[in-house]
Amino acid sequence: TAPPPEKKRWLRAYLELQRLQAPPQRRSEKPNWDYHAEIQAFSHRLQENFALDLLKTAFVNPCYIESEEARRRQLGLDKDAVALQLQDNTGLAERGLRFARAYLAQCFEGAYPELPAKGIEALVNFLTSQELVSYVAQNLSVQDLALCRDFPAPPDVLQRTFLAVIGALLESSGPERTGIFVRDFFIPQLIGKDLFEIWEVVNPMGLLLEELTKRNISAPEPRITRQLGVSTVLPVYFVGLYCDKKILAEGPGETLLAAEEEAARVALRKLYGYTENRRPWDYSKPRQGLAAEKAISSN
Amino acid sequence: RYVRQLQRLQLLFSPTAADARGAREFVEEAAQDFARQHPDVVLYVSPHSGPGPAPVLRAEYLNGTVRDELIASKTSEEIVQLATKLANQSGLDIIRIRKPFHTDNPSVQGQWHPLTNKPSILTIQGPRLQPQ
Repeated sequence: TAPPPEKKRWLRAYLELQRLQAPPQRRSEKPNWDYHAEIQAFSHRLQENFALDLLKTAFVNPCYIESEEARRRQLGLDKDAVALQLQDNTGLAERGLRFARAYLAQCFEGAYPELPAKGIEALVNFLTSQELVSYVAQNLSVQDLALCRDFPAPPDVLQRTFLAVIGALLESSGPERTGIFVRDFFIPQLIGKDLFEIWEVVNPMGLLLEELTKRNISAPEPRITRQLGVSTVLPVYFVGLYCDKKILAEGPGETLLAAEEEAARVALRKLYGYTENRRPWDYSKPRQGLAAEKAISSN
Repeated sequence: RYVRQLQRLQLLFSPTAADARGAREFVEEAAQDFARQHPDVVLYVSPHSGPGPAPVLRAEYLNGTVRDELIASKTSEEIVQLATKLANQSGLDIIRIRKPFHTDNPSVQGQWHPLTNKPSILTIQGPRLQPQ
C-alpha cells in the first residue's frame, strides 16, 4: 500500500497556527496519562512511602468536588449518583499546615535561640506563604496531579494541596519522617535570603534598644565613622554604633538617618546570629522530641 | 534530598516500520528492567499502527520542558543508554554555560569597598590630637 499522502503545503501553516493557538490543557487530558502510576511515581520521586488512598484524597480539592457535582446534576443524573464518594483534602491540609508551622518554629528556636518570637513567626509565615509553597509544589509536579476546577491551578489551591500531601505523609509515616521532609523542602528556600527581607521591621533602632536593655548593655551612641562625597548628589555615610566606647555595628547609608537605621539593622543581625557568615544549616541529624510538640500543637 | 527531574518518558513508535526495530526490541526486552530500576519515572509505551511519524522518545521534566529524541535505527542498548541519559538530566535548556563555576558566598571576610583598610574619622590622629 502507498504511504498516506502528506498534508498539503498550503494547509500546514494553518494547522500549525491552530496547534499554537489551542488553549492550554491539563496534562491529564492529553494522551498518555495513568493517574495511579503517576501517583506511585510521585511517592517514589520524593523517596517516601505514602498510603496511596490518603495521597489520593490529598489531591482532591473542594472546588473539584463542587464542579463535578454540578456537572453531574446538569447531565441529569439521580440524586444518589450526583453525590461523589470522594473526601476533601481540607482536613489533611489543616493538619499539614499546623505540623509544618510547629516543626519549623521548633527548628528556628533551636538554630537561632536569640531570635525573638516575632522574628520566628515572620520566618515561618514566609516559608508557609502562598508564593513559596506554590512554587515548591509546581516544581514537584503537584499541579499535574491536583484535581481542581480551574486550569492552571491558582496558587492557593497548590498551597492547600501540598500541605495536604504533608498531612497525608504525617498520617502514613509519622512525625519524624514528615519533619525530615519539611526540613528538606522548605529550609533550602531560605538560602541567600536576608533576615530583614523576610521580617518587616519598622523601627530597628527601638528594637535594638529593647534587645540591649534585655542584655543590660547601655544605649548605643551613633558616630560617623566614614563619609564620602558629602557635598555631592550621592553621599555615603558610615555610621557606627558604640556601646561604652566599644563598637557594636557599622552600617552605610545615603543620608545620616538611613545610615543609622542600617547600622541598627546590622547590629540586630549580629545579635540574633543571622549574619551572612553564620554556619550553614545543619541537615545531618534528625530532630528529636517532636512527638511532644505535635501533642501540644494538636490541642 | 535528590528528586529525579524526569517525570515521564513516552515511547511513540510504530509496530511495523523498519526503523522502529530497536524500539520494538527495547519494549520487548529492556523496558521492564528500566522501569523497575527507575520507579520514579512513568514509562508510557504507545504504538501507533500504520505508517506514521518517526519513532520518538519524549521526555517530560518537572519544570515543564519536553524533549523529543529520535530513536529511528537505533539498537536496543543505545535506546537504554539514551533513556538513562535523559533520566539523569534536569529539564534546564541545553545552552552554553557561560562560566563553569558559581558560588553562593563570593566573599568570606566581606567584599572590599574603597573604605576598608582606611582609618575612620574617629581614629585620625592629627598634630593636636595626640593621645596622652
